[in-house]
Amino acid sequence: MRRARKPSQSKLKKEIREMAHRLLIRRVWTLSVKDIRCLPSSAATISSSSFSTSLQSPPSRVSLLSPPRTLPRTLHQISRREVSFNVQDNEDFTERVINSQLPVLVDFHAQWCGPCKILGPRLEKAIAKQKGRVAMAKVDIDEHTDLAIEYGVSAVPTVIAMRGGDVVDHFVGIKDDDELDSFVSKVIGQ
Amino acid sequence: MAALCRGSQRWKRIHCFHVFKRKFTGKHDYDLVVIGGGSGGLACSKEAAQLGQKVAVLDYVEPSAKGTKWGLGGTCVNVGCIPKKLMHQAALLGTAVKDAQKYGWQISGTVSHDWSTMAEAVQNYVKSLNWGHRVQLQDKKVTYLNLKGTLVDKHTIRGLSKAGKETILTAKNIVLATGGRPKYPSNVPGAVEHGITSDDIFWLKKSPGKTLVVGASYVALECAGFLTGIGLNTTVMVRSIALRGFDQQMAGLVTDYMESYGTRFEWKSVPTRVERLSSGALKVTWTNTQTGCEHSDTFDSVLWAVGRSPETKALGLDKVGVQISKETGKVIVGADESSSVPNIYAFGDIGEGRPELTPTAIKAGRLLAHRLAGRSSELMNYDNVATTVFTPLEYGCVGLSEVEAERRHGKDGIEVYHAFYKPLEFTVSQRDSSQCYIKVICEREGNQKILGLHFLGPNAGEVLQGFSLALQCGATYPQLTRTVGIHPTSAEELMKVNITKRSGLDPTVTGC
Repeated sequence: MRRARKPSQSKLKKEIREMAHRLLIRRVWTLSVKDIRCLPSSAATISSSSFSTSLQSPPSRVSLLSPPRTLPRTLHQISRREVSFNVQDNEDFTERVINSQLPVLVDFHAQWCGPCKILGPRLEKAIAKQKGRVAMAKVDIDEHTDLAIEYGVSAVPTVIAMRGGDVVDHFVGIKDDDELDSFVSKVIGQ
Repeated sequence: MAALCRGSQRWKRIHCFHVFKRKFTGKHDYDLVVIGGGSGGLACSKEAAQLGQKVAVLDYVEPSAKGTKWGLGGTCVNVGCIPKKLMHQAALLGTAVKDAQKYGWQISGTVSHDWSTMAEAVQNYVKSLNWGHRVQLQDKKVTYLNLKGTLVDKHTIRGLSKAGKETILTAKNIVLATGGRPKYPSNVPGAVEHGITSDDIFWLKKSPGKTLVVGASYVALECAGFLTGIGLNTTVMVRSIALRGFDQQMAGLVTDYMESYGTRFEWKSVPTRVERLSSGALKVTWTNTQTGCEHSDTFDSVLWAVGRSPETKALGLDKVGVQISKETGKVIVGADESSSVPNIYAFGDIGEGRPELTPTAIKAGRLLAHRLAGRSSELMNYDNVATTVFTPLEYGCVGLSEVEAERRHGKDGIEVYHAFYKPLEFTVSQRDSSQCYIKVICEREGNQKILGLHFLGPNAGEVLQGFSLALQCGATYPQLTRTVGIHPTSAEELMKVNITKRSGLDPTVTGC
């Protein structure tokens, strides 16, 4: 079983920068997809195949073939009532995490990971204490391997905090209740 | 084929902004594309990437006939060595619990085994390995593609996704490491519909129950061994001999132990049909080829372990001119793993004449990567590779079998030292050690070099590893006897062998 590890401060900052960069690329692609949706489908196929062979780690979530079915939420739309949910697919992640009005903790976990089973309930408790001011998206890394790899997850559990579509913080491994409370407070901006 | 290549180049010119983004590696997309993400494929691709090559690995698992599928890592990780050894360990622990009482442990009630608990734990561990491999590829900057690869020409591969989407890749060098899959018998009605193979057994959520294992390869015996060990009624059906290719005297002792351990054997028998009864159980009818009589019995599961065939049929090899053996279907390879097409290589289980083992595939893959990157010319040495069969009483061996040694050196050219010993742990637990046996085959003349070493006993794999180094270094019988043993162990008996087969004396070890 992969053991959780604590990255060094500078590595953490580098990883956050890289994640933020990837997110920025995704948002640009998401916007540009709307523009090229009208291109003939054959051209989209070719661009997509040469794209996937040319970049080492393409943001493959953004499929040039199928633009997102829903547009990014506008400010006046009501966000979902569930504060803790399982991510279903890439579109779901974009909609409920990247475009969320609330800050979101993304809990990358796996069925085979013992520490994840300990951290999971603790996270739920920490989220519940905030009474709807923060949400939690749970990502099973076996079901959503590409998403996890894209976010640079190597060990599990990895928790990423996102606000306004940007990565603001993250940690790897187990934290106790107090550490989680302060982590969540920081994310909300208290 | 030519039209397709021209076509893709035309598209590339139109969408030139993608071409500017592409890392310039010459005229191909990749320096190396490896088809197959198993022990060999992953080792080769990671090593090549580390040496600065632009590498992609394609891995795709065609579900088994029963629908079983698994993640990255190949046979060893998912449906071979790893789950096998864990289930073997589960079975050994069952025996240990029985022995424990003689050692003073107070165990109230009967101890029973729950398949689902074991299976879930094993499957979870395998999934963690799938993830680990994925992360490693990412870390080593190997592009991973979950696509089924086929050769279009000697530099072009077509990858097909599960959804049917096609991707074309070009590569300077191509390595085939697609491994093998279990065979089903071709002449037994009901075999495919009602039977399972080693692809399925480790992923069953529910216990296989009363099982018939057809075959007597190490796959068959290892599976039958752990199924018996966890308390299931298990029968092995053998067509002719057990452990073909292994020393037959040792094979006999392995099956003798399994019979005394509780596995039933139907020797010289072949199944003729498998039917499902209204109760849901399977009725298997077979013929005993010695007596000519027909028999039948009901089982909950039938496990076919009648051989493996290489995954070469869907690679498009004939189109490109890669020669395969008519008999086995494996790729004909040179000492440097090259195929009949200069830039296409093949190794691991699909290489003709190669051992079907993970460590040899890994090492061969790494050496191949070094040669392809122009860093070395070292070839893989396939001699004196130690192996172990993880049957209830384990059998480890390195070097030649007795028959092969006789064939090469003549019966008078070899000396066979042997001994029956009793592991100390068996004494208090009153376990039968009749099959705990050691055989050291040496050259009779000259420096009496050790040609082969065979050990049957607990922890054979651990015992034998050090001796394989000795053989690699050309150890001789005098050196063996001059080495002081570690006491009390079973391994020390190897240093003490002195009774020869030629002498006809009783080889049973008595006392210290």
